[in-house]
Amino acid sequence: MWYHKPVINEELLQSLPNLKIVASSGVGIDHLDLKLLSSYGVKLSNTPFIVSTDTADMGMALMLASSRRLVEGYQMAVSPDTEYFPADWLGDELSGATLGIVGMGTIGYKVAERAKAFEMKILYYNRNQRNKEEESAVGAIYCKKIDDLLQQSDFVLLSVNLTPQTHKLIGKRELELMKPTAILVNISRGLVVDQDALVEALQNKVIKAAALDVTYPEPLPRDHPLLKLKNVIITPHIGSATKKTRRLMMENMIESIQAGLTGLPIPNEVL
Amino acid sequence: MSKKVQAIYLWWHKPVIDPELLQSLPNLKVIANSGVGMDHLDLKLVASFGVKMTNAPHAVSSSTADTGMALLLASARRLVEGYHIAISSGMEYCEADFLGVEVTGATLGIIGMGRIGYKIALRAKAFEMNILYHNRTRRKEQEEQAVGATYCEKIDSLLQQADFVMVVVSLTPQTHKLIGKREMELMKPTATLINISRGAVIDQEALVAALQAGVIRAAALDVTYPEPLPRDHALLKLKNVIITPHLGIKTHKATYMITEEAVENILAALNGLPIPSEVLPS
Repeated sequence: MWYHKPVINEELLQSLPNLKIVASSGVGIDHLDLKLLSSYGVKLSNTPFIVSTDTADMGMALMLASSRRLVEGYQMAVSPDTEYFPADWLGDELSGATLGIVGMGTIGYKVAERAKAFEMKILYYNRNQRNKEEESAVGAIYCKKIDDLLQQSDFVLLSVNLTPQTHKLIGKRELELMKPTAILVNISRGLVVDQDALVEALQNKVIKAAALDVTYPEPLPRDHPLLKLKNVIITPHIGSATKKTRRLMMENMIESIQAGLTGLPIPNEVL
Repeated sequence: MSKKVQAIYLWWHKPVIDPELLQSLPNLKVIANSGVGMDHLDLKLVASFGVKMTNAPHAVSSSTADTGMALLLASARRLVEGYHIAISSGMEYCEADFLGVEVTGATLGIIGMGRIGYKIALRAKAFEMNILYHNRTRRKEQEEQAVGATYCEKIDSLLQQADFVMVVVSLTPQTHKLIGKREMELMKPTATLINISRGAVIDQEALVAALQAGVIRAAALDVTYPEPLPRDHALLKLKNVIITPHLGIKTHKATYMITEEAVENILAALNGLPIPSEVLPS
């Protein structure tokens, strides 16, 4: 299964009586109905860890690009109308700023490891607190309430998985708790953010900017306001899109499929 | 008025410091440069008028290192191309074959391991990058070990092994066109060249030819020669090039810190005290 195709629904499962396993690319499984698959006796696997470093790298890429206005800068550098570079054109410094990580799983933790090297102050919000060694290795401070994280962060990075609990986790209330100078970075799923509330927040300067590798839907309709805002960077869900990782994902998926077909324990099975 | 001027705070190469200006300011004691590069100044000329010169090395290093990493990541992950795909009207979503190259675990070759180069090494280490460096002088062992950097006495060795080549030298007669046809041909065809130093350190024509022929994979340039480039320049049209408008130190924080550093230097010079960041003609 690649990029949510084919759609796994009742009709498809009924038409494939000998289907044994669905191997899904990537780590997210929010597009699949686990109960439905289970009811047909079909096993499921994903590729959880292989995507972590690329996705964390993408998170850092988006944070840096957004804070330093890289896309705007590129447009200025190549525009046919540019005669000089204005002296008062400035971005925000990432080094030494405060990063709030919402969702400190494998990917969130790797972002913390990278951010630490930029001397960032790291706050995190997670279902469970990490242990002391893990926290001190990256200098991360646990925020029991998401509000504390939102109020103090210069960058808010979302790296949760999409569940009923994280659906629209960041809405109008959360955006208003953020600093007006803050930047929201989303490398999780579009639905974790209330997109309409985000558009309004960006238009009214409730927050400074956003950088999104994920939206809902993907792609956005071509007339969507997010596509027109100058303070938004959108990338086409390329968090794990590198040659090396894609090949490793394929290898993992084949391994899982082979195990599923021969009745052996399935690597990366999702239960 | 001109007799009153004792200090000049030079902002983005203005005013131009030439013999006429220096002659018209008899009481000028110090020129404080914003930023660290001094290649736009004739150091011997200024010194001949008995005027001291200073720069702001401490204020610029983090923001410039951040810029280097921003360009490295943006180029590797094809961020700008991806953005255009994501927002373009009438786009065919061909995401499955849109691939970049990995940063984590790749080899980074830093040419010029000064303050800024070292901060880049610190950042790159967190991405588990294998770090090689080439410098006029070798760094101390502890400094190398702290970032896991391996010294390459010959630049060729660095060029042949690196997936990312980051140029972080100051512009001098020795570094002028340091990276030319020969150097680019030594690089891997899958490698990315990143320049955050000065445009003139790279042979721009050779770069255009190398990018067009696939001799290297891509380039990301915060600096060019001149700035801005002529609007019909080949570099502006290549899909595998990211150019940014010399934004290396253009943050609110760096601007503030540069000014603080400049004021410190100016006051020291005017009061005849030791000057923190004096630059002498070599």
